[in-house]
Amino acid sequence: MKLDSKIPTGPIEKSWDKARFELKLVNPANKRKFKVLVVGTGLAGSSAAASLAELGYQVEVFCMQDSPRRAHSIAAQGGINAAKNYPNDGDSVWRLFYDTVKGGDFRSREQNVYRLAQVSNNIIDQCAAQGVPFAREYGGTLSNRSFGGAQVSRTFYARGQTGQQLLLGAYSALMRQVGANAIKMHTRREMLDLVVVDGAARGIVVRNLITGAVEKYAGDAVLLCTGGYGNVFYLSTNANSCNVTAAWRAHKRGAAFANPCYTQIHPTCIPVSGEHQSKLTLMSESLRNDGRVWVSKKKGDTRSPDQIPEDERDYYLERKYPAFGNLVPRDIASRAAKQMTDDGRGAKGTLSVYLDFQDAIKRIGEDKVREKYGNLFDMYHHITDENPYKVPMRIYPAVHYTMGGLWVDYNLMTTIPGLFCLGEANFSDHGANRLGASALMQGLADGYFVIPYTLGGYLAGSKLPKVGTDHAQFAAVEADVKARTAKLLSEKGKASPQELHRKLGHIMWDDVGMGRTAKGLKDALQRIPALREEFWKTVAVTGSGDEFNQTLERAGRVADFMEFGELLAKDALTREESCGGHFREEHQTPDGEAKRDDEKFCHVAAWEYKGEGKEPERHVEPLTFDNVHIAQRNYA
Amino acid sequence: MTMNTEKSGGMNLTLKVWRQKGPEDRGGLVEYKVTGVSPDQSFLEMLDVLNEQLVARGEEAISFDSDCREGICGMCDLVIDGQAHGPDKGATTCQLHMRRYKDGDVVTVEPFRAKAFPVVKDLVVDRSAFDRIQAAGGFVSVNTGNACDANNILVPHDRAEKAMDAAACIGCGACVAACPNASAMLFVAAKVSQYALMPQGQPEREKRVLAMREAMDDEGFGHCTNEYECEAACPKEIKVSNIARLNREYLRATLLSE
Amino acid sequence: MEATPDSSSKCSCRVIEFLESSIGKKIMVALTGLLLCGFLITHLAGNMFLFVGPAAFNHYAEFLESQALLPLAEAGLFLLFLIHIALSVKARFANAAARPVGYQVSEDKGARTPGSRTMAVSGSLILLFLIVHVGTIKYHLGGLRGDTLFAHVTGWFSNPLYAGFYVLAMIGLGLHLSHGVQSSFQTLGLNHRRYTPLIKGVGLAFAAIVALLFASMPIYFLFFGGAK
Ligand SMILES: Cc1cc2nc3c(=O)[nH]c(=O)nc-3n(C[C@H](O)[C@H](O)[C@H](O)COP(=O)(O)OP(=O)(O)OC[C@H]3O[C@@H](n4cnc5c(N)ncnc54)[C@H](O)[C@@H]3O)c2cc1C
Ligand code: HEM
Ligand code: HEM
Ligand code: SF4
Ligand code: F3S
Ligand code: FES
Repeated sequence: MKLDSKIPTGPIEKSWDKARFELKLVNPANKRKFKVLVVGTGLAGSSAAASLAELGYQVEVFCMQDSPRRAHSIAAQGGINAAKNYPNDGDSVWRLFYDTVKGGDFRSREQNVYRLAQVSNNIIDQCAAQGVPFAREYGGTLSNRSFGGAQVSRTFYARGQTGQQLLLGAYSALMRQVGANAIKMHTRREMLDLVVVDGAARGIVVRNLITGAVEKYAGDAVLLCTGGYGNVFYLSTNANSCNVTAAWRAHKRGAAFANPCYTQIHPTCIPVSGEHQSKLTLMSESLRNDGRVWVSKKKGDTRSPDQIPEDERDYYLERKYPAFGNLVPRDIASRAAKQMTDDGRGAKGTLSVYLDFQDAIKRIGEDKVREKYGNLFDMYHHITDENPYKVPMRIYPAVHYTMGGLWVDYNLMTTIPGLFCLGEANFSDHGANRLGASALMQGLADGYFVIPYTLGGYLAGSKLPKVGTDHAQFAAVEADVKARTAKLLSEKGKASPQELHRKLGHIMWDDVGMGRTAKGLKDALQRIPALREEFWKTVAVTGSGDEFNQTLERAGRVADFMEFGELLAKDALTREESCGGHFREEHQTPDGEAKRDDEKFCHVAAWEYKGEGKEPERHVEPLTFDNVHIAQRNYA
Repeated sequence: MTMNTEKSGGMNLTLKVWRQKGPEDRGGLVEYKVTGVSPDQSFLEMLDVLNEQLVARGEEAISFDSDCREGICGMCDLVIDGQAHGPDKGATTCQLHMRRYKDGDVVTVEPFRAKAFPVVKDLVVDRSAFDRIQAAGGFVSVNTGNACDANNILVPHDRAEKAMDAAACIGCGACVAACPNASAMLFVAAKVSQYALMPQGQPEREKRVLAMREAMDDEGFGHCTNEYECEAACPKEIKVSNIARLNREYLRATLLSE
Repeated sequence: MEATPDSSSKCSCRVIEFLESSIGKKIMVALTGLLLCGFLITHLAGNMFLFVGPAAFNHYAEFLESQALLPLAEAGLFLLFLIHIALSVKARFANAAARPVGYQVSEDKGARTPGSRTMAVSGSLILLFLIVHVGTIKYHLGGLRGDTLFAHVTGWFSNPLYAGFYVLAMIGLGLHLSHGVQSSFQTLGLNHRRYTPLIKGVGLAFAAIVALLFASMPIYFLFFGGAK
């Protein structure tokens, strides 16, 4: 396998123009001869599908939910970045580019990030024109706020529902094309495999989740826009259905998987309340602007917080990072919380730390606090039944985003020609750590402003023979899918897929979570295959394959997580450095900071699947930094 | 609110759940005992636990829809003791917590009921009617790349806020489920209002409301007789003043459009 | 020339489309309902002459009879009732069809009112009332109860069953209007943060006053009838 990133050469400001100029164009009349299959209807999928249909391609779209509008992009709260510089505070394309490369801890491609910053402004224009109700000033212009520690206000938002509004905008564009018969929408379909004919992606095999029927679709290109894999940890801020299945199946058919160990853990989530917990709820990071994080100085202190006097409290973030205090970046705040609870100093002995607003209430008054955070406080109160105006909040980190994903070149094409990957599912732009409000930007950049050009370049540049679903390869893949379903159904064990998923999650969280060690990772690499074996022996899947069967759906996804989790751990073990969301305890500065090893690891790791039971092969795409000076992060 | 003060104790409940094998099956309520329910559990987590037990016993799990589990995707959709999304105000089913209940309660769980929302299985219904209404006109026709600079379209703050109030709809369908007439007016009104309030929506203002009204009626939803139950059940508290706006917009479009 | 038939057919098509649409139907029910409220006001005012005395009432009735346009007004009134009833009944059936399988347990969230729940029942009661009322008072079914209209009307009211039925019907009317008045404003798109609470209040007061005053007539003449 050869990784050809197709990065344009020459000055970075011109690289996207140059690439676009060099990409071949599909004649307008010919576009309708090409069929594109788009899997996923999040920001990436919806925007891509709509844009391609507008250009005249035949598009068929697939998603698992009952409506394309329910993709998990809907849950993003905070906002979306763009280099508009409307607030006149010194932002520019270059600054957004710079911040994103630095934020990614120098593990992303400069040219990709530069393009992202360049098109960020078009995204805001496009969304505003669609009628997305962004927050506005009294004069009617767009409002901005600063987000995720950025020094400029470049985040556009629609209350606390930015992802929802952007997705509904993209969804409306999608539905417009559906109404015009330019897009065929297939809801409640789960992609279970990819069909590769003569080395090119030519179709997919999906399960109709309503009827259970296995269906085949052929096309000239396939776009995977299937989101992140955070649920490999069982508990995360992702929706229940988020999965790695589509990406994993593609990986097994030849698509390299890049940097699976880059996962982001968000520091301010509502802690786990018991084994029954099905997902974790994120609370906006903005809480750290006024809340103070602390734990008891004593180990195993089960006193209620009001019983702990001031001098027995450890405001550890303020202590360890006096310059940034409670506002240190996500990964640092998360790790510090874990250290405290590992040390037995969690709130009332549980896995959580306090986020205290008493000082803020004293300083600015309860009314001001309510004005700023009222809805978050209500949400917290509703979920935990504790009143944060009276009792300090309890928070804990949770898996939130996955920077790793299918390897793609500058044109978003995977190592399988004709298979493209967009949005969170690819690895492209965030390096080892994603900045707040950048994922929405990336998903929409990929869908609205990158793929419409790069897909054309591929289609115009390749001679694709006609392939229909009657091709023998479709039958072969269909048989594989059916066999796997039959295998899942044949197990007559006693363990529900959820229970096994939970077990996997425990391993992943304990050993492949926030603080990773060679010992823990090696341990995980023993335990995951063992659990996988247990899965296939004990999983209980009731019902049949030819009906609506959520237990079967779940089992299939968990089965893939069982395989993928191992790759993630392997990647984490081989990356002998700390960077961004990947923290190896062996590699830290004396004061506990992530220590990169730019000599050995300034590269993308892309894994090639070599077959059942065989070691995957690790390929390397070196990264160069010609525009941003490579430096260690320092927040102390 | 009934509160179970004993956090660890756990309550025992009787559930009566609508089970229906498929669209053609008649279906009926089936009784389940659930034990040791923690007040911190969400209603859906309580069902998860029951399902795990059922699967371990070799019985088929109860099918129900949910995804984000935080009240934004609009996927969850149960009628609990006769109320769409259960007893809480301004909350989805996934945001309902068991501390709402007390030991010994009997709770009935049914699917959303409407001709336009046929049952798929158990508690799962097909809400694709909403997508078809959206496809009929719930958009601004602006192709990718066609947009002018965002600040060339000025939207006064209060207008934007009002539009956002309407745009907050999560498309869950609780308005239909709660409406005595199974009317989809609140959903359609929310979409029509969002665009009617914003300058971006003006060029297609008449066309949109005429088309969306027609699509809505074609799906077989009922007429609105202003019962306002939709607003009371709406997890995003979309106001019925939007329905008045929809009526107005429709009348206006009928009279004015070419 | 070519355009004429085309555009006219389009026009009538639009009217039909409007009347068949859920919203159009409801707008017509609301419009006719409000106009009927207008009729109720005049009818109530006229009938208040009953309390002034036989001469005044009979004089008012004669005055009405002498109006050349009366038949036209009556036809219009009949049409109002017809449209109102036809469209609301049509809507009712469509609504029943919109939920073929109902809930086993049904519990609202407190937005419905006694009036809104009973629109069909109260409407039917009003219809029944209208048949009895117009039949007996105007077409003298069941015979003449006196030689003047006053005597005829009050004669009927001295019958406890007849008067009781009136009172019952007026409860129905009150219920119908308690929901109907504010509802028609909403249906016509007249909703405003500031005025809607006012409309709701006035609507309730209107319903109560109209029902009470109408009901007071049979009650009064049942107990104090023939006093003059
Ligand atoms: C709670 C939360 C808050 C966030 N807040 C922010 C924020 O403020 N700013 C920001 O920039 N980012 C934020 N993010 C990150 C951001 O929302 C996501 O990274 C981004 O929306 C992902 O979009 P996507 O289109 O790639 O995937 P998704 O939106 O996840 O869509 C995936 C799609 O793929 C489909 N799919 C998946 N698997 C299959 C399959 N096997 N077969 C068929 N279809 C499949 C699904 O049905 C769905 O349609 C947040 C994330 C979370 C979880
Ligand atoms: C309870 C007190 C009422 C009294 C005393 C009363 C009296 C009368 C009288 C005297 C007439 C005229 C008959 C004629 O033309 O010969 C009449 C007609 C009529 N009334 Fe009433 N009425 C009452 C209530 C109502 C109500 C509540 C309604 C409506 C819901 C109503 C509807 C009508 C109608 C439709 C006519 C026929 C009008 C026409 O065709 O001229 N009445 N009523
Ligand atoms: C004087 C007589 C009447 C008056 C003043 C009246 C008034 C009204 C009004 C104002 C409405 C509300 C319309 C809306 O919601 O937009 C209404 C609704 C309705 N009316 Fe009447 N009405 C009268 C008689 C009748 C009769 C005789 C029937 C016959 C069956 C009837 C049946 C209904 C029904 C079913 C509705 C419900 C539709 C809805 O709730 O929107 N009404 N009426
Ligand atoms: S209007 Fe409210 S109840 Fe109806 S679909 Fe939207 S969010 Fe759900
Ligand atoms: S409950 Fe139904 S009747 Fe109208 S106001 Fe809401 S749609
Ligand atoms: S599961 Fe998403 S709103 Fe309830």
